[in-house]
Amino acid sequence: MKGLAKAVKRTPFMVTSKVGMSKKTTDPEFDDYQRHFADMEKAAEQLLKDTKAFMDAVTGLFTAGTGFATHYATIFRPIGGEFDLIGKHPEAGHTIKNVDKFEAAMDDLRTACIPELELIESRIVGPTKELQVIMKQIRKTITKREHKLVDYDRFNNSLTKLRDKKDKSLSDEKNLFKLEQDFEVATSEYDYINTALKQDMPRFMQLATQFIDPLFHSFFYMQLNIFYILLEKTNSFGEEAKMDIANRPGSQIAEEYEARRGDIIAAVENLQIIKRIISVSRLVQANRAGAGLGRAPSTATTSSTSSSLRAPPPMRSVSSSSSFKKSPPPPPGPPLAAPPPYTPSIGGQAAAASALTKRPPPPPPLKPKPKPASPPRQYVVALYDFVAQADGDLSFRTGDRIELVQRTASSEDWWTGKLNGQQGVFPGNYVQDT
Amino acid sequence: MLREIVEVANKLNAAHDKISLTQQADRGAPWAPKLSTYLKLDPSVIPVAPALCTHCSMSWSGFKKSVNRAGTTLLQKTGQIERTVDREFADEEAKYKVFEKECQALQKDGKAYWDSLRAMSAAQTRIAETIETFYGAADRSSDGAMASHAYKRSVDDMDGGFQRELDAPYRTTIAEPLGKMCAYFPVINEHISKRNKKLLDYDSARSKMRKLIDKPSEDPTKLPRAQQEHDETKEMFETLNVQLIEELPQLMDLRVPYFDPSFEAMIRMQAKFAEEGYEKLSGVQRYFEDSVRDDYAAGQLDAQVEGVLQEMRELSICGGN
Repeated sequence: MKGLAKAVKRTPFMVTSKVGMSKKTTDPEFDDYQRHFADMEKAAEQLLKDTKAFMDAVTGLFTAGTGFATHYATIFRPIGGEFDLIGKHPEAGHTIKNVDKFEAAMDDLRTACIPELELIESRIVGPTKELQVIMKQIRKTITKREHKLVDYDRFNNSLTKLRDKKDKSLSDEKNLFKLEQDFEVATSEYDYINTALKQDMPRFMQLATQFIDPLFHSFFYMQLNIFYILLEKTNSFGEEAKMDIANRPGSQIAEEYEARRGDIIAAVENLQIIKRIISVSRLVQANRAGAGLGRAPSTATTSSTSSSLRAPPPMRSVSSSSSFKKSPPPPPGPPLAAPPPYTPSIGGQAAAASALTKRPPPPPPLKPKPKPASPPRQYVVALYDFVAQADGDLSFRTGDRIELVQRTASSEDWWTGKLNGQQGVFPGNYVQDT
Repeated sequence: MLREIVEVANKLNAAHDKISLTQQADRGAPWAPKLSTYLKLDPSVIPVAPALCTHCSMSWSGFKKSVNRAGTTLLQKTGQIERTVDREFADEEAKYKVFEKECQALQKDGKAYWDSLRAMSAAQTRIAETIETFYGAADRSSDGAMASHAYKRSVDDMDGGFQRELDAPYRTTIAEPLGKMCAYFPVINEHISKRNKKLLDYDSARSKMRKLIDKPSEDPTKLPRAQQEHDETKEMFETLNVQLIEELPQLMDLRVPYFDPSFEAMIRMQAKFAEEGYEKLSGVQRYFEDSVRDDYAAGQLDAQVEGVLQEMRELSICGGN
């Protein structure tokens, strides 16, 4: 009630001073402090908000990272009745073997960072909130000073006006006396609080710096620790999985990715089911036109339909037998190529055309069934790089001349060869005759 | 009311016949009489019809198909029309559905992961800015201010490097392949639902043909017509079905080489982010006093913070006295 009465009394002055009718005292020194203080209030608010954002981001990072790893791992595990993914995709064997570890590592990472986040909450957010409480107190004091200043100016103005009045009435004289008293009280109250603020504010600013010093250092180390955990776990996973994760420019990561991916996208895009159906009847007609070419079910396993990753475009037409699309004539080249897989022959022409374009080499067929053969000494040239996937495999690079020890009738089989004094087996469709 | 519907059907059917001359497969079926037989046969189909035509601007032929299929489904449920069961397709579809779900989840998490990295980097730079403000309030030349300045530079550097170096590779190696794959799903699902619809047509045509064989009609043209419809629907269904049965496993198989390279890229990017972040950040320590690290480890810094807060509380302007 007292506060309200005061506010009502102060209002007329606030209005007149705003429109410039009354004089208003300013204290540049105090105003300067107050400006700084307002900045700090904002800063504390901001710090809280951003710290919160940082914590949320870190939590989100590890939660999403774990989720990513989990779903990624699921995709690389057999789905439904699938089996032997590594056998079908030897080039992806490394990934298939390591997705479980990846999942575990990411989960580990998430758990490892929880203590750091708790530290930030209790040691950074907590004290900052306390600082805010203190600043609110100071803000209250500042408001009080404002009020006292209004009182001071108000009485000062009235007093000056009354003193300047030429013909003072009796009541004016009485008022003058009262105003002098009021003015005295207001002056001392204002002076007191203004002095206190001017004394304590610089001290507070100093303390604020002392406050931020350890807080900044603490946050810095907590943050550094998060990066350290991330680095350490990622590195140890890389080591465990025997991955080359040495730092390299981002563009190189993308390039190496693209090189590894090869033209797998083209392989996927060759599928008909990812193309919109415009008219079923047209589809049927196209199918009829192409019937007889690919209608017979093929005995080829699905492995022959998959494509290898790091594949340069093959140069011989036989690899088209591994394509999803049937190419019209039986391929030239080695005799007895595996029968083409069944292909829905919609758009047979387009398919034939695409078979001539880039095509990854087929993955190696299943493991060797020794077959008798009587080879004369003969050499073949590697068409693609081949990296051993098991003991007894022969690695080579594109262009290597390999001495044939044993070959089978089909290039879709494992052949035996010698290179640099080493003997081993390799997929026959990775090489061509000299 | 039934008569009205049939009348409308006949009128529209005449117009439709002209249109369907260009669409050969749709030709030849006397739809309107068929519609009326269904209506007579099973009045519970009727409520389906208005619902179907009000909710979209479905074409007349689409509307007829829907009504017919609704009838077929109903008759299958009551056991009057035999339903074709294709285990092979069901298996492939089930596997595909798992894959679709996982891919979508992967895409979501991949995006969340990246958004978090970005948010983390951005929050750091803002925090550094704020810390500078605190120092700015008192003195700009103190050791603390110098350190905070170095800190600001290092997180800015990190943020810049992150955007410069990792944004594009992330898009190439994670976001785009996933986005592409996920964009295929709606189309594939359309193929599947088309197949299911054509299967209903086929089941219905087959049942009609068999009935005519069992109980020959007086109209000698009926059986050949039913036969032809049966053959047409069968071919449509099989074209779609065979394509799905062939290609769904291929797609499933391709997923391995398709997503395989992303693995290495993902790990490398995470390693890069961590390594560069750690290196840039740890350089700021040079601006700290030697004791700070140990003080932090010993919890001394927290005590300092507490001490300062206590001192603040004791100030007279804080109501300390």
